[in-house]
Amino acid sequence: MSGGIYLENGKSQLLFKDKPIKILLAKPGIDGHDRGILVLAKAFRDAGMEVLYAGLLPTPESVVETAVNEDVDVVALSLLNGAHLTVFRKVADIMRSKGIDDIALVGGGTIPDEDKPKLEEIGVTGNYGPGTPLSVIIEHVTTRAAEARKRKLSR
Amino acid sequence: MELKSIVEGIERSDTRSVARAISIVETESLHVERNLIIKSIYPKTGHAGIIGITGPPGIGKSTMIGNLCKILSSKKIKVSVLAVDASSPFSGGSLLGNRIRMQENLSRYGVFMRSLANRGLNGGLSRAVWDAVDILDAAGNDFIIVETVGAGQADLDIVNLADTVIVVLGPGLGDQIQAIKAGIMEIGHIFVVNKIDREGSFIAIKDLEETLAFSTQGEWKIPVYGTNSLTTEGYDDLIRGIMDHSELAKSSMEFRKKRYREEMRIVMQDEVSRILNRKFKDMILNGSELEKLLESKTDPYSAARKILKGSTVKL
Repeated sequence: MSGGIYLENGKSQLLFKDKPIKILLAKPGIDGHDRGILVLAKAFRDAGMEVLYAGLLPTPESVVETAVNEDVDVVALSLLNGAHLTVFRKVADIMRSKGIDDIALVGGGTIPDEDKPKLEEIGVTGNYGPGTPLSVIIEHVTTRAAEARKRKLSR
Repeated sequence: MELKSIVEGIERSDTRSVARAISIVETESLHVERNLIIKSIYPKTGHAGIIGITGPPGIGKSTMIGNLCKILSSKKIKVSVLAVDASSPFSGGSLLGNRIRMQENLSRYGVFMRSLANRGLNGGLSRAVWDAVDILDAAGNDFIIVETVGAGQADLDIVNLADTVIVVLGPGLGDQIQAIKAGIMEIGHIFVVNKIDREGSFIAIKDLEETLAFSTQGEWKIPVYGTNSLTTEGYDDLIRGIMDHSELAKSSMEFRKKRYREEMRIVMQDEVSRILNRKFKDMILNGSELEKLLESKTDPYSAARKILKGSTVKL
């Protein structure tokens, strides 16, 4: 695929010019605390992204299925129930088993500092907690989305 | 993914290939790749029946599609869904909220569903939805359900795309039906009053039937069905109506011709404006002609005609 026009040095701002970042927000697990993720959904929309929210209580399987159907750039996972190590890993594992390497995973919620390196290891980055400025999260998502989009276009 | 493997993937109905192909047709700068994909798959199209679902926001279109997927899938009919949602005119962003209403049925029956932002296009659809329909058609679907943006009276583009247009209304709109007679009331092949457990639905159905009694579409008599999407009451009749109309549409070729004509119009418009844009940049903005025209105080209309006349447009 000749996506080469996007890949020139210093031209990455063109990456999303005619197809905005597409992001899926999900809380896969038994966790009904969705105030935070709804705030983020609106913030991402206002930042010009096309936003999907998986609703309450989706399974890791259905999150990955949605991500593939919608061909998103980023899946943003959020949990406030302490199950992040189990559930985020499950999502990452399913994606890896399907050979999906052009969708970025980011995380957030109430995640203790000592868990963050473990999540980074399985490819879940960010892992921001309450009180993080929205601009920091948006910037991180944009960076990860650019990586994912380049991988999509480079083949 | 290579283009060739995407095309092969579409033909064996591989989800990731179909999803990636739709991303490509959604990206305007990848128009060369888009053209190649559509060219390769087009001979395989023409099998699927295209069902359009339109109606005001919040009336239950997405939930209804979830139910239709469930019923059609359990009859071993292969169905996919495209849902168009509105982009913000301020940020360009979008909250694609249709999927959440049907996710349970999609997962259970393995139905492919894709949300598309309208990217500011009026009329209830997105530009890419035309190509996405072709892709899903080539992927061997029996039916493709297209959900429009929550529609106002004049969002009517779906009538050019779908074989069967279902207009979903609800109780409480009943007394206003006279007011929306022009526009959306003229495009439906099937009308549904959803949420019939609510008060006033009997009157809404009666009002609709009376309004529609005077409109005919050839040999097709426009039916009005009442549905309750929580219990799927009324869905058997609705499915029968969809099947009947889709048979009729398939046998007449009229719908396919109409769609081809409209798609051609859109594609021609795109091509012409692309050529013009390029020309505008290369020859006019970067040339000295513009300054001369300004100096001689040529008005923009005459100037545009002069430039177009004096140039040979090459494809």
